[in-house]
Amino acid sequence: MFENHQLDALPQHQKIIFKPLAEKALLHAQLSWLLFYIPLMAALAVVCFFNHAFAAIAQTPLLIALPSILVISLLYNIVSIRLKGIAMREHDIAYRKGVIWQQVTVLPLARIQHTEIHRGPLERKLGLASLRLYSAGGMSADLNISGLSHDDCKDIRQFIQKYTEARQTSVHSSAPLSDNNELVG
Amino acid sequence: MNNIVWQRVSPWALGYFVLHFAFRFVKDGIFNLLPILVVFVTQVQNKLFWGQVAVAIAVVALLVYSFAYYVNFRFCISDEHEILLNKGVFKKERLTLNFLRVQNVNITEPFYFKPLGLVNCIFDAAGSVGQEAVLPGVTTQYAEQIREQVLAFKETQQADELQPRTEDTRPNAMEHHLALTNKEVAKFGLMSNMAILALAALAPFMNVMLDFLEEVVINRLESFYQQEVGMLVDAAALAVFSLLVVIVVIAVLLSILMSLIRFYNYQLYFQGGKFKRIAGLLERHQLSVSFEKVQSIVIKQNLIARLLKRYTVQCFQASSGGFAGAKSKQSLVMPVLDVEQVNQVCQWLYPWLDFKALNFKRVERALLIKNMFVYALIPSLLFAGLCMMSDTLTPAYGVLSFLLLSVLVYLSYSRYGYYFYQHEGRFYGVFRSGMIGVQYRVFELYKAQSTHSTSTFLMRKAKLKSLSIQLAAGIVSLPYLTTERADEIINFTLYQAESDLRSWM
Repeated sequence: MFENHQLDALPQHQKIIFKPLAEKALLHAQLSWLLFYIPLMAALAVVCFFNHAFAAIAQTPLLIALPSILVISLLYNIVSIRLKGIAMREHDIAYRKGVIWQQVTVLPLARIQHTEIHRGPLERKLGLASLRLYSAGGMSADLNISGLSHDDCKDIRQFIQKYTEARQTSVHSSAPLSDNNELVG
Repeated sequence: MNNIVWQRVSPWALGYFVLHFAFRFVKDGIFNLLPILVVFVTQVQNKLFWGQVAVAIAVVALLVYSFAYYVNFRFCISDEHEILLNKGVFKKERLTLNFLRVQNVNITEPFYFKPLGLVNCIFDAAGSVGQEAVLPGVTTQYAEQIREQVLAFKETQQADELQPRTEDTRPNAMEHHLALTNKEVAKFGLMSNMAILALAALAPFMNVMLDFLEEVVINRLESFYQQEVGMLVDAAALAVFSLLVVIVVIAVLLSILMSLIRFYNYQLYFQGGKFKRIAGLLERHQLSVSFEKVQSIVIKQNLIARLLKRYTVQCFQASSGGFAGAKSKQSLVMPVLDVEQVNQVCQWLYPWLDFKALNFKRVERALLIKNMFVYALIPSLLFAGLCMMSDTLTPAYGVLSFLLLSVLVYLSYSRYGYYFYQHEGRFYGVFRSGMIGVQYRVFELYKAQSTHSTSTFLMRKAKLKSLSIQLAAGIVSLPYLTTERADEIINFTLYQAESDLRSWM
């Protein structure tokens, strides 16, 4: 990589073993989708019921397309949630997502500006939460992880806080940081 | 906090508030008033009278609001090293800005303050564009004194922190100076896209404008050409062409004027790791930027700059709102530099960087193949299909478009390059990209905020990955690297960000 520098062995981010999201994450994703999709289908059905001219043109395509989209989306959600994963390491947090474009984001804990935990009504019912981590320069959250259990979110937030405090101390005492080992659990 | 002594700014600052709110009204409010404008144009009978009434009301409201703002505007420098501002008319606001969060203290001298010896003192908050505090109409001495106070406090605080490698090892005790002639600054008007932006802003009114122009100008020009040129050429086409030429010339002149207003008499100083830039026609703007706070440097050259053999260098600082914010407020721009001047600036900042001579590594050829397919072949086939269906065009145009798009795709592919360098224990990355123009982005690896790698199924099969690194001043990306190389870059960047204890901001 460097023309003038020999690299030593580095912590390998590609060997991270990702932990799947919470058990109810899939249920949350499916219910969120249905909550958007069913009213849309209902609205189209109402339009077809009252507007015969529209129904004559659109009814058959809609009857084929809407259930197909629904089934494909539900299947897509299953794959999407299974592919998502999160991993905490000693100095960073990694998140994997994406079905067609698979993306791995690694955010050093030392760069986190602030942390947010969001809980919508559905998430509260299912004991889930979304974790948003912000660093500098991004347009929105650098990491927006939904489908985590609320307890996990709180643990991660606490871990980040502790890390930040420890780093502040090590900056002042200039203690070297240890290797970036993956955390168990 | 007990010794708070609130101060008022000079009554002359009222002029600043009037201009400031007038500008804000034009910039932010004018689009909201468009519906009213439409109603006014289409429904109101006596336009002149009601127009005058509306303008009078707006002016009075502006003056009253500005006066009320001035009355409520108070500031104080607290013992706890904070700048406190009380402001607002309907919504009272208290802004507290700690000296440590101040990134720059800039002093601007608007033309209307010049005879009075007053300046505006602007405190830029770290990593935030919206959170800046302006003290308008303070004396130059007072502004200089506050600046010294803020910078001195920051320096003592930073000295307290143990930062083993922060000392500037560059030989920059001597002052470097760069001045640009106004002729060079005018060239920036040609290179920059200010004129295009102005035209783009006018796009929503294009129809109305064209109708108006057709009525007022084109028809008259057409009859003029018919009289003078006769039937030799199409008078209507000539009239439209003349009008377009005039519009382009006006846009270019406007752009030159804008760049002169912004960069008139450009002076840049660099000493002890700090930039000081003084420029501006109506307002002499003094911008100081610490090089340690610069997140990335961009050296770029667009098509016109290429013809003029000039480059633009931008030093980006942390921004909270992505690039748009960074561009307008937090970046130091060196608008028009020739190669020697760019190398001169590079020598001040990165003595190892000879951007023309760097041995850039290319991205993988698969990118060229994919882009050829997606951006050249498929659009050309679609275009050829449309040509076949059309009566006037032949499918040969499809071949022509394929050739043209292939050239662009190849240029874009060949511009991508990356280079990493280690200098005195610091690790740097230089990413090159572009198509017809070119852009070099230089950054220190430890300033990375996060890393992203992306791959599709086919990319994984071919052992390829795209990577991007989020900096506090935007994202740098490299598409289609071998998985091994992309992982190596990501791992090393993360290692730098995590193990380097220096402050990135």
